[in-house]
Amino acid sequence: MVTWPKPFPKPVQRRDDEPFWASIARRRLELQRCGACGRFRYPAAPVCPECLSEAVEWVPASGEGEVLSWCVFHRQYLEAFPPPHVIVAVKLAEGPIMCGFFRGDIPKDALIGRRVSFDYAVDPEGQVLPFFAPS
Amino acid sequence: MTSSDLGRAASVVGVGHTDWVGDYARTRAGEQPADSYGYAARAFVQALGDAGISRNEVDGLITGPRTAYERMGEVLGLNTRWGGQADAVTAVVMAATAIHAGLAEVVALVYGNDQRSAKVQYGGPQAMGGENYLAYVYHSPWGLTSQGALYALMFQRYKHVYGATERDLGEVAVAQRLAASLNPNAIMRKRITIEDYLAAAYICEPLRLYDYCLINDGGVCLIVASNDWAKRRSSRAVPIVGIGRADLNRGATELEPRLVEFYRPAQQAAAQASYAMAGLGPEDMDALQIYDSFSCHVLFALEGFGHCGEGEAARFIGDRGISLDRGLPVNTGGGHLSETYMQGWAHQIEAVRQIRGECGERQVPSCRAVQYCSDVAGKAFSIIYGASA
Repeated sequence: MVTWPKPFPKPVQRRDDEPFWASIARRRLELQRCGACGRFRYPAAPVCPECLSEAVEWVPASGEGEVLSWCVFHRQYLEAFPPPHVIVAVKLAEGPIMCGFFRGDIPKDALIGRRVSFDYAVDPEGQVLPFFAPS
Repeated sequence: MTSSDLGRAASVVGVGHTDWVGDYARTRAGEQPADSYGYAARAFVQALGDAGISRNEVDGLITGPRTAYERMGEVLGLNTRWGGQADAVTAVVMAATAIHAGLAEVVALVYGNDQRSAKVQYGGPQAMGGENYLAYVYHSPWGLTSQGALYALMFQRYKHVYGATERDLGEVAVAQRLAASLNPNAIMRKRITIEDYLAAAYICEPLRLYDYCLINDGGVCLIVASNDWAKRRSSRAVPIVGIGRADLNRGATELEPRLVEFYRPAQQAAAQASYAMAGLGPEDMDALQIYDSFSCHVLFALEGFGHCGEGEAARFIGDRGISLDRGLPVNTGGGHLSETYMQGWAHQIEAVRQIRGECGERQVPSCRAVQYCSDVAGKAFSIIYGASA
């Protein structure tokens, strides 16, 4: 758990996202899984894109994944994120790809293919955000 | 009636645009030369003049994403029998299909955008397009907001998979700036070298300043008419001979089609459909216009639309070339990077002018067929203008 000095941008919250952000607030990220065919999906959606079932269950994520790609913001666009700000796209063990920022001692040029896992940061307003750190 | 009849239905009979260069200077000085409707209206008047027709002959209207349909028609004084609102490439497809179906005969496609003077935001939690593309805003809590960052992630992955370099990517910006230097309508006309490119700062690494499109105000208009009308009334109509489209929507927000497939399956399907309709192949294209909000679009499009093999774009650019001085010229007016950022609309009129042979110093010799390729957010289109087989 990391304390972040500036407030994070507010999440886009649609009806289906609520359990996701509630699980993050508990610092135990859950992913939406189809109750019929078992396919994970991210972001949350009203039906399964595989089988179109509305049945859902929320399952704690393993928190493990592998970096698919990265980029670095060299300009500041948001108060919370002074440059250089490293973003990673991570293939989660459950299947979906999740983007987030990266903090840790892996050189960015060696990130692709590296194993990472969730950590959590909390901003001055109490908003919790998962991010990626070396496993 | 077969679907290939669509490739014999419609032609572009008039084109027009605003003073991108002059308006860029005025907006930089703090002026607002027009709003989106005003720019669209100026381009419309130019295109009517270019087509040699009166406003009363227009019976269809398509307006761009920044202007409401009814108000655009009201501003232009148009009561039409068919119309709608669309982005550049969808507008061309809609016009051709409406004409093919007999719903309209002469369609005005008008686009105006005051994005620079109105300070439109392309990044951040309120980014333009977020209502249509969830990926543009969904990752904003982590600071991943701009479209440039999404392409930075895509090119980084591409580099890793295929061994391409940032120097390879820089050749796109250098080639398009060469084209712009020969185009009096282009905003950025000072030539750059690969050393200039590599010396520029990263904006979102691995993308640098010259990998990003301009942001400027302006308008574009095309008049698209039935081929019967064009035969009677136009001496320099440019036919629309091939149309193809394929979309990748599954996994779009988690960026799966972008980072895993580089949009290739959609590009291939769109290209094949357009080639089949035109009776042409990639080898028949004399120039390409590629939607280039970021330079890396060009590498992905060269591969996906069939101009070279998977992972071979860098070699294609080095061995064959994509600039006006050799090979297969791409974005012959300078594109979004150097000419004007009209969100694909200016690419259409550049294709038309190249085929008419009126491009002066930047003219591609014996230019008979030009392909427009776009893959914005995995919605891939291929349009072929010019002579059919």
